[in-house]
Amino acid sequence: MQASRARLFKEYKEVQREKSADPDIQLVCDDSNIFKWTALIKGPSETPYEGGVFQLAFSIPEQYPLLPPQVRFLTKIFHPNVHFKTGEICLDILKNAWSPAWTLQSVCRAIIALMAHPEPDSPLNCDSGNLLRSGDIRGYQSMARMYTRLAAIPKKG
Amino acid sequence: MESSSGRSDPEEVCPICLEPPKREAYLDHCFHSFCYHCIVQWSKFVKKKSYQEEPSIKCPLCKAENLSIVHSFDGESFLRFYFNGDSRNSFFTSSHGYRLQCYSCELDDIHETPLWSQTRESSYYSFKNVRLISHLYRGIMLFIQEEDVGIIVHHVHGVIEAFFRSNKGDNTTLNPEKRREMFRALLIDAAWPFLHARTERFADELELFLASGLNIDAYDEVYMHHLENYSSSEASGHVAPIAEKMQEARLRWSASVSETRMKEITLDDGCCGLEQALIDPWIVSSS
Repeated sequence: MQASRARLFKEYKEVQREKSADPDIQLVCDDSNIFKWTALIKGPSETPYEGGVFQLAFSIPEQYPLLPPQVRFLTKIFHPNVHFKTGEICLDILKNAWSPAWTLQSVCRAIIALMAHPEPDSPLNCDSGNLLRSGDIRGYQSMARMYTRLAAIPKKG
Repeated sequence: MESSSGRSDPEEVCPICLEPPKREAYLDHCFHSFCYHCIVQWSKFVKKKSYQEEPSIKCPLCKAENLSIVHSFDGESFLRFYFNGDSRNSFFTSSHGYRLQCYSCELDDIHETPLWSQTRESSYYSFKNVRLISHLYRGIMLFIQEEDVGIIVHHVHGVIEAFFRSNKGDNTTLNPEKRREMFRALLIDAAWPFLHARTERFADELELFLASGLNIDAYDEVYMHHLENYSSSEASGHVAPIAEKMQEARLRWSASVSETRMKEITLDDGCCGLEQALIDPWIVSSS
């Protein structure tokens, strides 16, 4: 418990210090609860998520960093490894392959990498996975782009 | 200010707590460094979660499989924590574990006690000691952390015995200090190829054991008393009277030995600086 607080506080300081280091990630800690964080990540370029800003919710267990944080998308996203309704993410490092050397910042980077390189063989979103597995890259891309426009790009005017 | 010094160079912080490493420890294969506490805690957590006795853990940084944690590196020697080190079914008993702790703490304080200064002059390095072999067994086993050390023990023991034998004839030709130095040099030569940087410490322990004139159990008891007193009285600057404890232990042991046995023993001049009546008869002198 104490160890997780100390470590999260350390990460918080690091995030404040390195604010401009990674312009694609903006991590914010809940003012009243250091175990709740929110992140805004930019959709990687040359993907259907380009131009979108996606919100992630972090819920950190008391045994962190022995246990991984729970992360889900708050912004709707069409991606084979993200549950379309709940935003749950299927990513090995958030489950079995977790290591305490990961930080909230590096988890965000891993999620951005997952957005650019979907794993259609372990889908949480079967529609999206099936499009990719059947080789319909165009179909997947246009669906993903549509949802990015609908949910992740701020409406003008 | 902190931001400049604490600027997280990934090489200088423990990747688990993100602080500068406390009691720096390394994994034996990839040599990534962590706080000792952090990496031990993680290895225990992984072990508990996997429900099986894995002899290795993956490095949190590079996923290399590692068998042990290298820690307490003091510039010369280090200790290891094995991930499969379940003390219940290994050859180490709890008393071994205790000795291991003794070896990893500083000996300086023992060298400065009255015990050492009193017995240093006695010629423990000149005479056969029947208990030597058991002390050698345990010492070498712990220093090397292997069970099968018989051949090394016999080697070192043989060298010491030969020294005792060669000393019998010309007791008077060398002064005691010279002979002690010779004894120590010989011991270090014999043990160095196996113990490396830990040889000096091994020699310290062996000399202290021989000088004490006690058997293993009594010696441990005194040693333990000393360490406990030392750690509890460190703040007040009071040093435990280890010589008194040694004498108490001697009394207990000598009381258990028959009178006749006592008479059989011939004591060489200056063999022991302590009262002869208190001398533990289990020291068999060379005569």
